[in-house]
Amino acid sequence: MKSFQYATVHSTASARELVADKGAYLAGGNDLLGLLKEYLISADTLVNIKSLPGLNKIEHGRNVWTIGSLVTVAQIENDADIKKTFPGLHEAAADVASQQIRNVATVGGNLAQHSRCWYFRHRDTQCLKKNGDLCYARNGENRYHSLFTGNSCISPVVSSLATIFTSLDATAIVLRDGKETRMSMAELYQRAWENPLAHNSLSNTDLILRVEIPTTRSRSAYLQASDKHAFDWALVSCAAATTIEGGKLKSPRVTLGSISPVPHQVEAANSFLDGKVLDDATATHAADLILKDAKPLEHNAYKVPLAHALIRRTLLKLKGEV
Amino acid sequence: MSNWPAETKVIGQSTPRIDGAVKVTGKARYSSDIQAVGWLYGMILRSKWPAAKISSVNLDKARQIPGIKAAVPVRDGAFTIRYYGEEIAAVCGTSKQACLDALRAIEVVADVKHEFVVNEREALKENSARVWDSGPNAPANPRPRENGNVDKAFSECDAVIEGFYSTPVQIHNPMETMGNTVSWTEEGLTAWSSTQGISSVRDGLAGALKLDHSKVRVITEYMGGGFGAKFGAGVEGVLAAKLSKEAKAPVRLMLTRFDQALAVGNRPSSFQKIKIGAKADGTLHAFEGENYGTAGIGAGGDSGGGGGGADIPMPYIYKVPNTRVKQSEVAVNAGAARAFRAPGHPPGSYGMESAMDDLAAKLGMDPLELRLKNDPHPIRQREYKLGAEKFGWREKYKKPGSSPGVVKTGIGCAGAAWPAGGGDRGTQGDAQINPDGTIEFRLGVQDIGTGTRTVIAVVAAELLGLKPEQITVRVGDTNFPPGPGSGGSTTAASVSPAVFDICQKALAQLQTQSGLADARGENWFAACKKLGVSPLVVHGQWQPNLSADRACGVQFAEVEVDTETGLVTLKKVVAVHDCGLIIDKLTLESQINGGVIMGMGYALYEERVMDDLSGVMLNPNFETYKLPGIADVPDIEVVLINMPERGVIGIGEPATVPTAGAIANAVFNAIGVRVGSLPITPAKILAALGKVPPAVSA
Ligand SMILES: Cc1cc2nc3c(=O)[nH]c(=O)nc-3n(C[C@H](O)[C@H](O)[C@H](O)COP(=O)(O)OP(=O)(O)OC[C@H]3O[C@@H](n4cnc5c(N)ncnc54)[C@H](O)[C@@H]3O)c2cc1C
Ligand code: SF4
Repeated sequence: MKSFQYATVHSTASARELVADKGAYLAGGNDLLGLLKEYLISADTLVNIKSLPGLNKIEHGRNVWTIGSLVTVAQIENDADIKKTFPGLHEAAADVASQQIRNVATVGGNLAQHSRCWYFRHRDTQCLKKNGDLCYARNGENRYHSLFTGNSCISPVVSSLATIFTSLDATAIVLRDGKETRMSMAELYQRAWENPLAHNSLSNTDLILRVEIPTTRSRSAYLQASDKHAFDWALVSCAAATTIEGGKLKSPRVTLGSISPVPHQVEAANSFLDGKVLDDATATHAADLILKDAKPLEHNAYKVPLAHALIRRTLLKLKGEV
Repeated sequence: MSNWPAETKVIGQSTPRIDGAVKVTGKARYSSDIQAVGWLYGMILRSKWPAAKISSVNLDKARQIPGIKAAVPVRDGAFTIRYYGEEIAAVCGTSKQACLDALRAIEVVADVKHEFVVNEREALKENSARVWDSGPNAPANPRPRENGNVDKAFSECDAVIEGFYSTPVQIHNPMETMGNTVSWTEEGLTAWSSTQGISSVRDGLAGALKLDHSKVRVITEYMGGGFGAKFGAGVEGVLAAKLSKEAKAPVRLMLTRFDQALAVGNRPSSFQKIKIGAKADGTLHAFEGENYGTAGIGAGGDSGGGGGGADIPMPYIYKVPNTRVKQSEVAVNAGAARAFRAPGHPPGSYGMESAMDDLAAKLGMDPLELRLKNDPHPIRQREYKLGAEKFGWREKYKKPGSSPGVVKTGIGCAGAAWPAGGGDRGTQGDAQINPDGTIEFRLGVQDIGTGTRTVIAVVAAELLGLKPEQITVRVGDTNFPPGPGSGGSTTAASVSPAVFDICQKALAQLQTQSGLADARGENWFAACKKLGVSPLVVHGQWQPNLSADRACGVQFAEVEVDTETGLVTLKKVVAVHDCGLIIDKLTLESQINGGVIMGMGYALYEERVMDDLSGVMLNPNFETYKLPGIADVPDIEVVLINMPERGVIGIGEPATVPTAGAIANAVFNAIGVRVGSLPITPAKILAALGKVPPAVSA
């Protein structure tokens, strides 16, 4: 990697000042260090944010829970209250990478991680996302790529936490220009939908402080499908959250991951499910709605039936019977 | 009959590795742990183009990077690059980062060629870019090999199937990558090498550097695995030597995983078109096989272990009276193949055994019955029957596709043959017996993780009436008497007879010198004491009637297939193997467990992915070059047939041969349709089930 300055910061103000235009926030380092070592990005200063006070806690409010951006994925996985209150979040955390990675990976880093497209990650291909002039994946090896996109890059968002946070209607609190800004998950990734160069909507100085999760939805579930049984990326992930009242769904949310540059939600599916009794037929119809506009490419069309199955299974899991 | 004792106490037992403790406590120093005094890091600059003409390589700026002590080109003058990752130059320095900086400072003047081809099917086309200027990528019309009258025979068959089965290029990924620490001084050259063949590395280095063999010493005390790619000094070994000479310091040049994926060998791909016909009772009558595969830019480069070509044995273990086989190797712009654990056999077994199950389905026969009907080998016949019993084949078998529900279960089996596995007749060794009764064996063989040290100790302990832990074993040094390369599953069958001979000679000599009628066991220390002050040194060598070649083996697999997600879960494998006289049951079982796991990776996960447009390998890492993890590994039951009358035979290779075929057949049995291509991924399962919609063009 190229040489850089290294600083550990204790306040968000100095974090922002030191990171400026050309630095990078360093949290668990799983993603950032790999990018630096492969010369995929460079940073003049690594700003170690792990000593920022107060950001490594999970706090239980009556209506809202707060998860600090330095909370590790393993902390979420091991938190018994999370498992009870947001089982889908527990399941998503437990499926991330390997135990070693979960032990150091942070919530902020997980949400802000970069594309895993193998052309983007390759040291010797200059694709659109790296300021090159074409997307190699579109007509190339696109088995892991998106079914939906708003631009010419088809690299999907791969954060498992983003998938479940989206269904839980979580909000990221981002420090932007010295002010706390609230961003929905959709807003957090919107720029990746529009702009092939973007991985998310954050600017270089934007700092995720915490994630707030409303307790409105008492049931949640997460499932992912991979090539292998553990330590493997999701080919497709699916998260659902809802409340069930009188046997009927209330404010359900279904989200797919790894098939679009943003966590994929279809409003029509959510509103179709609202007030319905969950059964095979409703789950299937919701899956149809969610995948209706999918644009499969040469090697990723298998994601359509796979996503369809995951949507049905995740929804049925909400009933607590499977 | 072999000359081994009829009754044994140590041989055939489960003896833990004598070096187990030093390995798990980290005391064992592997080749990549060697820290010679004043050592430097070495690194290689590789081509970022799949095809180019290099006119010059300027190392001046690289040499100026602080910490850099030497830089050398791979070749002088202009040369041609034929694949992404081919070596261009190397540097050494006091830190990894200095080397990385230096690699980036090297100036390469290249005429980058945009005509290249990395895909086998494309390379076969008439208008394809050519890998070699000298000729087409594949022979225009490979000559078929024909026995009997195939066309006529097919018309006499009651059932005929045609199938297409393909296997990917598999990358060599031992736990320890390839590489060496080399120290080259006025006195000579010492290489601490991660190798399967200390002698072949010595000869290779001596040849490449024009040194006397006596000036080159290769040491491999502990190394982290080799599967056929680690016999030669390699480009990386020669570069390390040149760097060491220029820098006047030892240079450690171990490849990175990225390097390892590109340029140091792989298992060729195969694309097999198979047609078989049988009589109504299942008797095979006609076979036609057409296969092509790629060995990259060529086969056998620096292999030493032989093989590495893209041809496969067809129709594998079966004898069909009428056969026609046509094979060709197609060049692409990618790293060359090398021998890879049982070269040719895993793809050969996978293709033929898949076709056998497809034929069984057509005949409405149980595939095990079809094998028992046609398999010509009496040992495999025994193994199938024994394995079927242990596996519960008869209780578990149901017609392909008849498993109910979303998650379907299936079973399959496949067979192996390994023609080698006999001993290297040149194997020699010494033992020094000290008056205090301690004994040390020295053999110029290397233990590549298979337990060779332990095998030596077990054989010696048996013959001398001692315990394995009383035997000191030193291997992995070309200063010791010459030993075999660890390839072709020959090591155990090479060293065991040599140790037998050493022990016989030692006992005879001890009897003479001590006057004791039997120096073994409880008399050992008394006999040794009689040696007085000078230790006894005996020399022995490989002897006949103690080892043999040719092993069989069959495996049974049980899978679960989720027909909605395509995920295959391997539940159980029963592996039935023979390898003559069993020396150490424990290390033998480890070989088979490892073989099954490697075969499972081949069946379900591993695949080199090349990009047509850029010519690069897209998955030179363990994130996307997928390997089995412990969560994927099934319950493996090893069933052994001990055949002491045959003498010692190797097992390393046959253990991995039938796994992929057995798994592929189990998947077919579960879902009732064939996935004719490895690895069997969820995407391919869903496609085979007809669930995948067509692509939408943008
Ligand atoms: C083999 C493998 C498999 C994996 N599988 C999965 C998986 O299944 N699911 C999944 O979700 N992830 C997976 N991951 C990714 C892993 O979870 C992420 O890399 C990790 O969560 C990143 O967190 P970190 O704290 O290490 O981030 P870092 O590497 O420290 O940072 C990542 C990025 O986020 C930025 N950043 C960090 N913190 C903040 C903040 N508070 N505000 C703004 N920007 C910030 C950094 O500047 C950097 O750009 C896998 C990774 C590997 C290597
Ligand atoms: S999908 Fe995006 S990251 Fe991948 S090659 Fe295309 S532009 Fe690059």
